[in-house]
Amino acid sequence: MITLLKNGKVFDPAHGKDGVVQDIYIRDGRIISKPADTEKIGQTFDLKGKVVMAGAIDMHSHIGGGKVNIARMMLPEYQETKRYTEPEAHICTSNCSHNATPSTTDTGMRYIEMGYTAAFEPAVLAINARQAHFEMGDTPMIDKGGYAVLGNDDYFLRLLANKAEQKVINDYVAWTLNATQTIGIKVVNPGGISAFKFNQRRLNLDENNVHYQVTPRQILQSLSRAVHELGIAKPLHVHCNNLGAAGNFQTTLDTMGASDGIPMHLTHIQFHSYGTEGDKKFSSAAAQIAEALNKNKHITADVGQILFGQTVTTSGDNMMQHLNAKHANPKKSVIMDIECDAGCGVVPFKYRDQNYVNALQWAIGLEIFLSVEDPWRIFLTTDHPNGAPFTSYPHLIRLLMDKNFRNDAFAKLNLDAQAMSNLSSLNREYSLYEIAIMTRAGAAKLIGLNNCGHLGVGATADITVYTDQVDREAMFAKPDYVFKDGELVVKEGKVVKVAWGKTHTAKPDFDAHVEKDLQDYFDKYHTIKVDNFKISDNEIADDGRNSVINHFYKK
Amino acid sequence: MSNPSALINATCPACGLLCDDVVVSVTPPLNGQVASTSTCSKSIAFFSQASLDTSPRILGKSVTLAEAMAEVATILKNSKQPLLAGFSTDIAGFRAAHRFAEKTNAGLAHMNATTTWRNLKVLQSTGWQTTTLTEVKNRADVIVCIGTDVVQHNPRFFERVVWTKEAMFVDPQARDIIYLGGQGLDTSYGVSPSGKQPSILPCAPAQLPELTAALHALVNGKVLKSNQVAGVPMADLASVAERLKQAKYAVLVWIAKDMDFAHAELAIQQITQTVVTLNETTRAGGLALGGSDGDTTVNYAHTWLNGLAIQQETLPVHDALIWVNSFSPDKPLPKTAKPLIVLGHPAIKFEVEPEVFIPIATPGLDCDGTLFRVDSSVVLPLKQVRERNVPTLAQVLVQVEDLLA
Repeated sequence: MITLLKNGKVFDPAHGKDGVVQDIYIRDGRIISKPADTEKIGQTFDLKGKVVMAGAIDMHSHIGGGKVNIARMMLPEYQETKRYTEPEAHICTSNCSHNATPSTTDTGMRYIEMGYTAAFEPAVLAINARQAHFEMGDTPMIDKGGYAVLGNDDYFLRLLANKAEQKVINDYVAWTLNATQTIGIKVVNPGGISAFKFNQRRLNLDENNVHYQVTPRQILQSLSRAVHELGIAKPLHVHCNNLGAAGNFQTTLDTMGASDGIPMHLTHIQFHSYGTEGDKKFSSAAAQIAEALNKNKHITADVGQILFGQTVTTSGDNMMQHLNAKHANPKKSVIMDIECDAGCGVVPFKYRDQNYVNALQWAIGLEIFLSVEDPWRIFLTTDHPNGAPFTSYPHLIRLLMDKNFRNDAFAKLNLDAQAMSNLSSLNREYSLYEIAIMTRAGAAKLIGLNNCGHLGVGATADITVYTDQVDREAMFAKPDYVFKDGELVVKEGKVVKVAWGKTHTAKPDFDAHVEKDLQDYFDKYHTIKVDNFKISDNEIADDGRNSVINHFYKK
Repeated sequence: MSNPSALINATCPACGLLCDDVVVSVTPPLNGQVASTSTCSKSIAFFSQASLDTSPRILGKSVTLAEAMAEVATILKNSKQPLLAGFSTDIAGFRAAHRFAEKTNAGLAHMNATTTWRNLKVLQSTGWQTTTLTEVKNRADVIVCIGTDVVQHNPRFFERVVWTKEAMFVDPQARDIIYLGGQGLDTSYGVSPSGKQPSILPCAPAQLPELTAALHALVNGKVLKSNQVAGVPMADLASVAERLKQAKYAVLVWIAKDMDFAHAELAIQQITQTVVTLNETTRAGGLALGGSDGDTTVNYAHTWLNGLAIQQETLPVHDALIWVNSFSPDKPLPKTAKPLIVLGHPAIKFEVEPEVFIPIATPGLDCDGTLFRVDSSVVLPLKQVRERNVPTLAQVLVQVEDLLA
């Protein structure tokens, strides 16, 4: 059956279409070219005046795996329905629960209600990947995928310390992508999580891990090169050293230069853009960070915007989360060392608009959004749930698109923080086209999803239709229609059909010898067999709902 | 299924450690005897269970599977508040049960909820700082077993994690083992292969709250004006505190099941807070062991599917009870005056026959499966090692669901 979406205003940056009125035809879950007049159109949606975009893609959202599940378990109080008050009131979707850590079912439902059709878990601990896939498998409505975390695992650090050839590192990285069924590689506080296990409390870019005598810079060089040489589309996903620390912007600037021009993505960069100026020794370095991002074309970033209210921070960075635990609200936290592979830190947070640091964090995120010139290299995230739950995206979009709304919110903040920010002097307002780049075309290009994030012929028919409203928050909170794989699944902000997404992966070839060495390593030092570390396609697909797609193509 | 004459690498679900280095041999025919090469009595008992050809029963009378499922559907149609409890199962079983519970408005509970919640109360009150088995194997230089000998629950803990041949960052033979509290423990496993003796400071389990509180105070640098606490000489306890502070990576082990006294969570919290204090200057981790009957698995899966941990009661109010027990035929059946449906291990013995009994497959023996290890981060596949003509829990629930539709 052919479905026709008629007369919509199409925003499709992958094809340079900025509000072009155009018809879209769908058959068998894909967008097709205009069929012959003899072919029967099964159903037609007249979208005159409506805004049509591809389904949105969240390229960084903690939706599955150990950390977020610990947060759910630790924080039963979050499951109560709450209503935020100004200035962070947001427009509720039909079932909005305001939970920072929704169940897997709610996660899928809340995403699709907002017109998001894919989300990527950015911190799949390799040893914990099976759990992440189970949780993502139980997340309905959207496509999923993950980035495997390397760089603090003892196997890799031993290779690096022993000056292994790059080819060996590449094989290990490729093996990891296959074994964990992921689409990209992330490094969290390079070398720092391991260093914390040896009782180091901070690690700078050129400081040695005491045991391995290797630096974060060397780790970044090795991993970014491996990802690049293997031909993985998604650049190395980097959570820099010194997360959240005053003065960390210098580490972030230095990190941009660490890969010698090889592409890297710096994630939740807002948390890494802090200076030490002013009486409180905490200031915005957004201008320096944005300038460097504008200059360094090999670097992309997502913002990790904070929004006010109760949330929980879940990170693999147990070194820095251990320091942050003293700010926990409510006062509890979980810090873990995990399997000579990784770590985790779960710390609940309440961001308050009258708190100097929190207010400035809010402003810093927006300053970065508004000062980075190329929307193809900056991405809209709250680092869900760390800066705010993903359900606040419509509110964030309005902050970016509506200067008066933004300035009104800014005027209510802590006065000292206002004095330290140039936000009200930034006049930029994002266009619908730029929003479509950040949340669709750019995200798909970054991750290497050829068939998503655009509306060209052959694309997966993940499509969102909005009513063009002055109140952009209302507009983006409640699309008129969402189509997933060509099926109408949301009507007027409510789910009308339950669907199950796909799991996106990139699985490059590797030299089998790497597995021999890994087997010896696992038998000597681990507590499981290497064969049980690996996840088969069947484990993901056998529940009859999910499927696995490999996006790795030999060049 | 592999060749029947071949040895099969298996993962053992008999305790929370999920040892995956177990080799089992299956004697033909395929539904015949399975033997484990493990040295662990729990593992041997698990894999050598007889392959019983038990048929489904209604009030003790043998029936077909279809008849039994029809009877289950009839009971549930007359129930307003059914309960799915016991829940000795794996992820696939729990996922199916969760869907089933949503359709039938049934409650969910686990047989081990009481012990699970001794830990969860601490997690939800203060949180904790913990570690996992591979970290312990490679880093731990001081290990304190608090109120437990561990081996009663996790027989191979010392073999697989403590007295290992190799470790990346410590000399395994030099580890300092301390048994703090508890009585009548089997401390023989704490003796190193070279004969190094563990320190043993016994006390009655009910005195663990004061003993752990005193340890926490000493680690905090407090001076306690007493010669002893819970019968343990203060000098000995101070020595433990000092060794913990000097350790590079101390591990404090407890097992909630062995803390069977009122407000055990307060003693556990003293342990976890001691770990937090140690981490101000050195590195340390808590390690909660024990675990079986899929308790860790069901709690985790329940949490992601519902947003909340499994409930505290093991047997909440109900008007019909479905008792699920895939792993342990010897576990006592619940006492209920309401209609009882048992979906369970074929070897379960009944004093009074339930309304319906349907034998189901045991994951890791009769069917594939997946379980969480007790230390939470590691999730391991279980393999079918013999062929049996019994349905899985998921297969039964899906078919009953169809009958209810």
